Amino acid sequence: MYSEDFTADEMVVVCMAREIKDHDVLAQGIATPLVTNAYLLAKKTHAPNCTPMFHMGNTYVLETHPVSLLYFEKYVNTWAIRFQHSGEVTMEHLPSGRVNIEYFRPAQIDMYGNFNNTCIGEWHSPKVRLPGAAGIPEVSITYKKILLYVPRHDRRCFVPKIDFVSGVGFLDGKTTREEMGFPGKGPYHIITDLAVLGFDDKTKRMKVISLHPGVTREEIQGKTGFELIIPKDVPTTEPPTKEQIRVIREEIDPLGIRLLEFLPAEERDELFDRIIEIETSR
Amino acid sequence: MADKLVSLSEAVGLIKNGDLLGIGGMSLYRRPMTLSREIIRRGIKDLGILSFIAGLPSDMLIGSHCASRIRSCYVGFEMFGLAPNYRRAAENGALEIIEETEVTIVLGLKATLLQVPHLPTRGIRCTDVMKVRKDLKEYTCPLSGEKLVALPPIKPDISIIHVSMADRMGNAHIDGAVWLDEDLAKASGKVIISAEKIVETEEIIRTPSRANIPHFMVDAVVRAPFGAHPTSCFPFYTYDAKHIRKYLEVSNSDNGFSEYLNTYVYQTKTHEEYLDQVGASTLSKILL
Repeated sequence: MYSEDFTADEMVVVCMAREIKDHDVLAQGIATPLVTNAYLLAKKTHAPNCTPMFHMGNTYVLETHPVSLLYFEKYVNTWAIRFQHSGEVTMEHLPSGRVNIEYFRPAQIDMYGNFNNTCIGEWHSPKVRLPGAAGIPEVSITYKKILLYVPRHDRRCFVPKIDFVSGVGFLDGKTTREEMGFPGKGPYHIITDLAVLGFDDKTKRMKVISLHPGVTREEIQGKTGFELIIPKDVPTTEPPTKEQIRVIREEIDPLGIRLLEFLPAEERDELFDRIIEIETSR
Repeated sequence: MADKLVSLSEAVGLIKNGDLLGIGGMSLYRRPMTLSREIIRRGIKDLGILSFIAGLPSDMLIGSHCASRIRSCYVGFEMFGLAPNYRRAAENGALEIIEETEVTIVLGLKATLLQVPHLPTRGIRCTDVMKVRKDLKEYTCPLSGEKLVALPPIKPDISIIHVSMADRMGNAHIDGAVWLDEDLAKASGKVIISAEKIVETEEIIRTPSRANIPHFMVDAVVRAPFGAHPTSCFPFYTYDAKHIRKYLEVSNSDNGFSEYLNTYVYQTKTHEEYLDQVGASTLSKILL
């Protein structure tokens, strides 16, 4: 039974959850409530044996718990089956492939899936200094597959040329990545509010795998700063089921914390105040 | 055994101008805020910062001109936003940034402990980190013939770490996530611990994981209840989201940040005065 009243953020969460298989081990990065939503949705529905690792404690957690702005650290610490030191995560579990799923949200991405989380403009005198790439320069090379997501698909993110290569995609396309002999195979899927994207087998150029319901070829091309490969018979993304939407709204994220990642900065203030008020008064 | 429990100003007196300062905790969690505020009060200059996932202490030390360079792989406030003073300094060219990644920091500290000139990684090649870090070198592995990147050692002169409890000798115990703090303590020339509680050694022995940082690595211990405020300290309190939001709002300008410093650092001469300024009702709301 497909849902008929889902929103764009929920479509993104459901598409991200679909990439997760039962028994996967999942790493979560900093400031990513959409990822938390997706992992918890997968665990509560089709992948009950997956094991999320949350960045707040570097903890593996099997219990599920609603997403929280103020108390998520308490949850990941209280219910941890294991704490890990950052060194153990960085040197062992990520490069070894034990952790096999992680989502990254690029500030900029090019047609070959190279991406930037470091700065907008020139590095020495940036227009915007972003937080930084954390583990991306390493794991974009070592992860078997890279998963990316972009909450707002637009020309600010999908650019002809990125300002800083923080994460390695398919370099200059074709076999250029393969020739480097990296252990990882490169970017696999990009989930956005408009589509699921992937890469052409031969050229390694970005291509549309499916368009979300109601999104046209013209719209997605118009919001992308380079030419996308859009197959003639491009399918429509399978909508969320009624059950998936119910689980997101009632069990995982009733406060809508995922929207903090989805809304533009200027619209977040009110939501922040509301979430903090509700959580503090509990 | 030496008693290392000292006053806040005595402890921070160990930090010298120009030191590379390691900062414990991560992001919005268990940051040594009481120690950081005292560094600002004392006007220590030209610090380098080493922080794995950096946040409030780094942003305040940069904004108050105590730090002029930073080694980090992430500086920000998670969902709450970008780091305002860090951003301003980086965009105005007023800060030396040594662009790190998780692995350059983790293996840099390990190389210090192993006393080797480098440790290798398969990552980072083909990223622009290689362009802005001339001290990272690509080389061919003498055993396998593979291309690797050599990462140099990182040695902090002194580190500040906030913990849940410590005894007077400096045996320091961390509840919950440890992140990189044990490695930081091991690799640092000196270590200052601030602790929510000062306890008898027996109490540390009774905890399942005991002392994460043993006394012989520690040079000074300071008692600082709520010493991570406005960041969190599990299992005692979560972060003060309203305070952090306010900080980010006012710190969007140099003037606003100066006012924040006046209210919460310069006009509160001691940690106790800081807690009074924050207020008991605010502190009671963040208790876990």
